[in-house]
Amino acid sequence: MTITAERVDQVVERLLRVLRADQVLTSKADRYNRARVPAPFPVHRWAERLPDLAVLPETTEEVAAVVRIANELLVPVVPRDGGTGLTDGAVPLRGGIVVDVKRLNRIHEIDLGNRTCTVGTGISMLKLNEELARHGLIYPDDPASYPCSLVGGRIGTSGWSLIGSRYGHTRDLVLSFDHVLPTGEILHVGDGIGRKITKSSSGYQLKHLFMGHQGTLGIATRATLKLFPKPEAELSPFWAFDNYADAYACTGALARAGVATFAGAVLFDEHKVAYLRRDDEAYIPQPQDVRALVCAVTYGYEDEVRPAGRRLMRIARDHGARYLGDEISEGDWAARHDRYATPLHGRTKAGQVVPMSWHCEDASINYTNLPAVTREWHAIVAQLRRQTDVFDDWGMFAYTNGNTGVDYLTEIDVGIWEQRLDDRAWELWVRAKRDLAAVSLSYGGSISACHGSCREGEVDLVPDELGRGFGVMLDLKRALDPNNIMNPGKYHLDRAYERDGAGT
Amino acid sequence: MSPYRYDEQHSPPEPERVSEVAITTFEHLYEVDPRLMQRWVLQQTFPNWDTLRIMNSRHDHLDWMHAHFATKVLQGSEILAELDEPGPLDQPGPGAERGAG
Repeated sequence: MTITAERVDQVVERLLRVLRADQVLTSKADRYNRARVPAPFPVHRWAERLPDLAVLPETTEEVAAVVRIANELLVPVVPRDGGTGLTDGAVPLRGGIVVDVKRLNRIHEIDLGNRTCTVGTGISMLKLNEELARHGLIYPDDPASYPCSLVGGRIGTSGWSLIGSRYGHTRDLVLSFDHVLPTGEILHVGDGIGRKITKSSSGYQLKHLFMGHQGTLGIATRATLKLFPKPEAELSPFWAFDNYADAYACTGALARAGVATFAGAVLFDEHKVAYLRRDDEAYIPQPQDVRALVCAVTYGYEDEVRPAGRRLMRIARDHGARYLGDEISEGDWAARHDRYATPLHGRTKAGQVVPMSWHCEDASINYTNLPAVTREWHAIVAQLRRQTDVFDDWGMFAYTNGNTGVDYLTEIDVGIWEQRLDDRAWELWVRAKRDLAAVSLSYGGSISACHGSCREGEVDLVPDELGRGFGVMLDLKRALDPNNIMNPGKYHLDRAYERDGAGT
Repeated sequence: MSPYRYDEQHSPPEPERVSEVAITTFEHLYEVDPRLMQRWVLQQTFPNWDTLRIMNSRHDHLDWMHAHFATKVLQGSEILAELDEPGPLDQPGPGAERGAG
């Protein structure tokens, strides 16, 4: 609790002037359920991350009214969408009000002429696409959390899409949105100020500023999205290699080939294959000389995808690839969202199965630096594992960030035995995260391609990554959130207020 | 519909070892070696029908996901077979050089 019980009563009393009673939640279950996120955290410290209450607004005006009250009473506000983020954006660090946007889930318009839709930000992409499919359309924002993440969370994290090399990522797919500022004012954000404009050169380009801020600059409430024809055909071949070097070379060649329907290529390293071989039924029977894997994905009309597939298949064959067969290729691609739905386990060093939560680092790394970063990251996680069975190296992926092959979302997956995550192990982990981020920066990368970088450890290096840009972040935060009520404690943004001691 | 017989449902096929850490019982069904699930996570006993239901449901889920994102799935094996019959669009492009970068 960061505010006293009396103050909670005062806040509730004020909120009930703008919301119905069923929209203001104060019970333990309501609060505990809104403290949960998938990123591992010590079980014994979860009480540090509880909100004091939660609200369920149904309109932009209701969100604005809640934020105005919070700003007046100096109570922290934490926006929460699907709660699927991996950098704790939706986690309250100082209690306060969680604004749960799930009831902002209406489809307001499907504009077939301009190929857009306008939705409340509380809708999931899966439910939206079920409706769009009736019109032969799709909103192709496809994170691993696709079935359960919400449009607003994608805006708040400036999310990354598994098929972003074909369709772009969230920042490319969201045309504009209504946004409640930390003062409770309502702002429309877009290219220029239009709702359905894809390119404007009028004034400052504010859209990127209000995406990826992890809820520190306000709450998106209604968004207009770019739509595409639902693909007629999908092709997702998986190939096996007997060494990482050939798989790496093949991945680069696939990404550089300039195939128009190319939606992404994925490189799995030796550690990832070893993990799959011990715990994934598709790979358990694979021969021991399978040491690395590559997958490529294409979407489009069949008469585009088929020749594209031939070109990609030829490139793979020229690099020594072995096609893994239709069942694995199709099944593994369709299973790309599983990590959000499947109970996971890892192993102690003695080989015993233990329940583990999944964590992944997600740097952006240039293609030519992937092998070096891969080596250095595994060394950091190996050092962790030597010290405790709490951590298990589940291997690395590298996914194309775009369609030219310049950089990759570079991911190391670490199983974490969350129930055993005591203060010592957590400190080891935070130090390791700092080390992983430092490696990314030393190779000219970014700490995060997808999740954001405001968790303990990595966040310490954000000023190093952004340089003077971090100072601009502080200036903007202070200007837009004068009382530091919006998701306080994230991204070291408290430093914006150190001079005058303002804020919550 | 066959009658439910407890003994039959709790007698899966004799397990075969497929790796140092895994066994198989039904076709395409793999399990962690029970010796590795004796301390922190214990294996649970499922009747055969439930084991097979879980496996088959998995396929239903994957089929659903394919249909959700595209009307049809092209098979890589077909594409691979077509490689020996190149069309005009299949000449190697400048980005396809082996080992570039």
